[in-house]
Amino acid sequence: MGATVAAPTVAAQDRASRGLWHDAARRLLRNRPALLGLGLVSLFVAAAVLAPVIAPYDPIEGALVDRLKPPSSEHWMGTDLQGRDEFTRILYGAQVSLQVGVVSVFLALVMGGTLGAIAGAAGGKVDATLMRVTDVLLSIPGILLAIGIVAWLGRGLPQIMLAVAVTNAPIFARILRGSLLSLRTADYVVAARSIGAPASRILLRHMLPNALTPLIVAATLALATAIIDVAGLGFLGLGPPDPRTAEWGTMLTDSTKFLRQAPHLLFFPGIMIVLTAIGFNLLGDGLRESLDPRLKR
Amino acid sequence: MPLLAVRDLVVRFRTHEGTIHAVNGVSFDLEPGETLGLVGESGCGKSVTNLAIMRLLPKPAGRIEGGSVLFDGLDLVHLPESDMRELRGRDVAMIFQDPMTSLNPVLTVEEQMVETIRAHRQTTREEARRRAIELLEMVGIPKAEGRLRNYPHQFSGGMRQRVMIAMALALEPKLMIADEPTTALDVTIQAQVLELLRRLTTESGTAMILITHDLGVVAGMTQRINVMYAGFIVETATTEKLFGEPSHPYTVGLLHSIPRLDEVRPGELVPIEGTPPDQRRTPVGCPFAPRCAWRLEVCWREMPPLVPLDPNERLRTSGPDATHQIACHNRPTPEEADAGRPLREGFVPAPPPDAVVEDLAPTEEVLA
Amino acid sequence: MARYIVRRLLMAIPVLFGLSVVLFAFVHLLPGDPARSILGQHATAASLARLRESLGLDRPLHEQYFLYLGDLFQGDLGSSLVNGRPVLQEFMLRFPATIELTLVALLFAVGLGIPLGRLAARYAQRWPDGLVTIISLLGISIPIFVLGLTLQFFFSVQLGWTPVSGRIDPRLGIDSVTNFMLIDTLIAGEPRAFVDAVLHLILPGIALGSIPLAIITRITRAAVLDVANEDYVRTARAKGLTERRVDNRHIMRNAWLPVTTVVGLQVGGLLAGAVITESVFAWNGVGRWVVDAIRNRDYFVIQSSILIFALVFLTVNLIVDILYAYLNPRIRYS
Repeated sequence: MGATVAAPTVAAQDRASRGLWHDAARRLLRNRPALLGLGLVSLFVAAAVLAPVIAPYDPIEGALVDRLKPPSSEHWMGTDLQGRDEFTRILYGAQVSLQVGVVSVFLALVMGGTLGAIAGAAGGKVDATLMRVTDVLLSIPGILLAIGIVAWLGRGLPQIMLAVAVTNAPIFARILRGSLLSLRTADYVVAARSIGAPASRILLRHMLPNALTPLIVAATLALATAIIDVAGLGFLGLGPPDPRTAEWGTMLTDSTKFLRQAPHLLFFPGIMIVLTAIGFNLLGDGLRESLDPRLKR
Repeated sequence: MPLLAVRDLVVRFRTHEGTIHAVNGVSFDLEPGETLGLVGESGCGKSVTNLAIMRLLPKPAGRIEGGSVLFDGLDLVHLPESDMRELRGRDVAMIFQDPMTSLNPVLTVEEQMVETIRAHRQTTREEARRRAIELLEMVGIPKAEGRLRNYPHQFSGGMRQRVMIAMALALEPKLMIADEPTTALDVTIQAQVLELLRRLTTESGTAMILITHDLGVVAGMTQRINVMYAGFIVETATTEKLFGEPSHPYTVGLLHSIPRLDEVRPGELVPIEGTPPDQRRTPVGCPFAPRCAWRLEVCWREMPPLVPLDPNERLRTSGPDATHQIACHNRPTPEEADAGRPLREGFVPAPPPDAVVEDLAPTEEVLA
Repeated sequence: MARYIVRRLLMAIPVLFGLSVVLFAFVHLLPGDPARSILGQHATAASLARLRESLGLDRPLHEQYFLYLGDLFQGDLGSSLVNGRPVLQEFMLRFPATIELTLVALLFAVGLGIPLGRLAARYAQRWPDGLVTIISLLGISIPIFVLGLTLQFFFSVQLGWTPVSGRIDPRLGIDSVTNFMLIDTLIAGEPRAFVDAVLHLILPGIALGSIPLAIITRITRAAVLDVANEDYVRTARAKGLTERRVDNRHIMRNAWLPVTTVVGLQVGGLLAGAVITESVFAWNGVGRWVVDAIRNRDYFVIQSSILIFALVFLTVNLIVDILYAYLNPRIRYS
């Protein structure tokens, strides 16, 4: 009788955990703002990935005679100071933003996740020490930390990626550690242990899916801030050192010198940054709602 | 004239996922000073009925969609909100299940009691304060004056519930509704709190509706009992008659699923098979049918009306002579009620109209 | 509660140490040759040697650290490489400007954010809620510099309603007494200058406060909705209290708690955001100074500014934690 009772429950659990993702996906698709976010994000990714293919002009070389032209049928977003097609530079700018955003958030997940996992799993003094470390990093407000790191390491895309990663890593560490700690003592984990389920199974089937969901949400939202931070660094003059690189923040700074003659150079990069950020924020919010099993309206 | 007259009350919750039929035509009366028990499992509508009476249903989902509630002759369903507000706390009071979450954690007990009093009476703060001390002493809280300045978390569970009772009785309401008042408390404290409730309501002549899922609670406390299932009242009787002659299969099942110390021969515990109904579908037929051992074919199709056991008896809806009524097509005999299952030769409960055997089979296997 | 405060203070100590280590490393562990990185390519051997001497770069690391700590405690934060003046002095000169800006932004964020959040909660799922949600979304999605530049373009350049940049019209000739422009104009007895200073504060204040506004709005809405669903709110209604009383005494009194914590956290964001805002509006505060310092590789300025900002942030958080403990009776009387 024992065997016949145990087997269906474990199988049911497998079905249940796969069901969680399925359920979440369905709920996400029904959430209209989240779909809008997904759409915007897809557009952004498409622009970034397809830039070399769909860009009508060269992002680096331009004809000075064409400079500071307003939007027209030949140049959909006008031209910049060097006569380069703004639309092309926007597309290539998406590439830079996407690159830096994805890499830095990924790095942050690895760094922060490892830290958080160790802290959450080990507990005790190890946990306390690691948390003080994150506290130190978190005591330096956002962009100041990134500025400090770029000032320290010098300008360049890898340095920017590292800087933004270090800004986000402590937050991810905290989230994962918090999830693991609360899960260790959660009723269903204790229950699983009590029926003799092996630790690895507990970790994989029961703890990880629940611990990962806040991290997924945080990572999506972090992409939004990463893109904004990179643009911010660019605005402050800490962007990629090669002035020919198309980066939205740097493009914005450059536009301020000719605000009255060419306001379009301010608006297009500005709108792109905002739309992309909106996209990731909406998506992140949508994920948060759909991945939370206790859907609270 | 009864203090409270509920007729055909219908309450539904409209949500994104569908409509929940919480209360499906409930009627009962309550005399002044009478104590009525409302018994049933989670989700049967006992709490919702009373929230509806007080017009405290969660908005906008919960709505009274039919029936009437007359309190002292006043139509509560259509009363303007400002009048309803005056009634609450002053004429009708309610205490809830969990005293920890039912009291505001950032206000002192004094503040919470004084505001109740001053909301309905023109008194000075000092007078209200004195009344609060009086009330705390009445419910048996030692060193009442000093404890006024305490916060809810500084009281034990039982004491907190006493505070709630004190607040509820502060303005000497005509009706007190107690929603599972002891469920969140330790067993030993439960008895104390129940005793307190009984004493106070008897002394002040306050009518009480006692809501619970625990038959043991109502046994010593109430004069009459309504048994509810899936938003319907399935049996109503005086407490004596309910325990002495349980007549509805659900009531029979309830009584047999509690182990009793005073049983001469150790009877078997007969669990009620199946699970509570899904109230998202409009009820068709008797909601208890899937779990009923006495069910007939008609039970699947028609909801039986609530009628007196003895059709010749004059119908009394309240008081010590209240008529024993049940809603059932196939009433268990007294012997069957005693045994907890049908004793008729060759009787088999009628299968559902389009039998989906799966729903019923597993539980029988588990029992085997 | 006293125990809580002590524990909280003790927890701050290792963080302070960690912070000092990080900032020490910022200068003393610059990649490559710190001295050369600081002074640049064209540094003379003599100046390099002098710098190495004063930083103790030839000594073992832990000695360097103690030297640094010693300097810190004496208030010696180094000198600016641009004009040779002590960093601490220069910082204090510019700090009031940043504080003024930050306070205005905070006032904007809290003054507008909390009412908007309450509004959104009261009309949850209906159009006011939707509108507030959109405003909130825009607040966190529009970077400060984009908003700042756009506001500047519309209101200053095109419409001319507000000044383009700076803290005050230099032609008004106000003496810097406290360096708080709003105070200095009043001290000088010039109401028109006061108004001018206010006008200069509007756009940067809005730009800087936009993100905290969005976050405070969201948190307030969430807090009010959470509390509104609590049992004790139902009890309050069951007692026959008016909606207004229920709202103020029962809902808001409890909702303040999480909101307070978030407001404290936002101060950090404001300090960081000030850096960007000051660049957009040519505001003479610490933020702009740091940005210039980066361009000039003025490491001591960067190091000390980060240190002081972090200290301010930590202090504000400490105050907020204590305030929270005071407001929450469960902690106050435990």
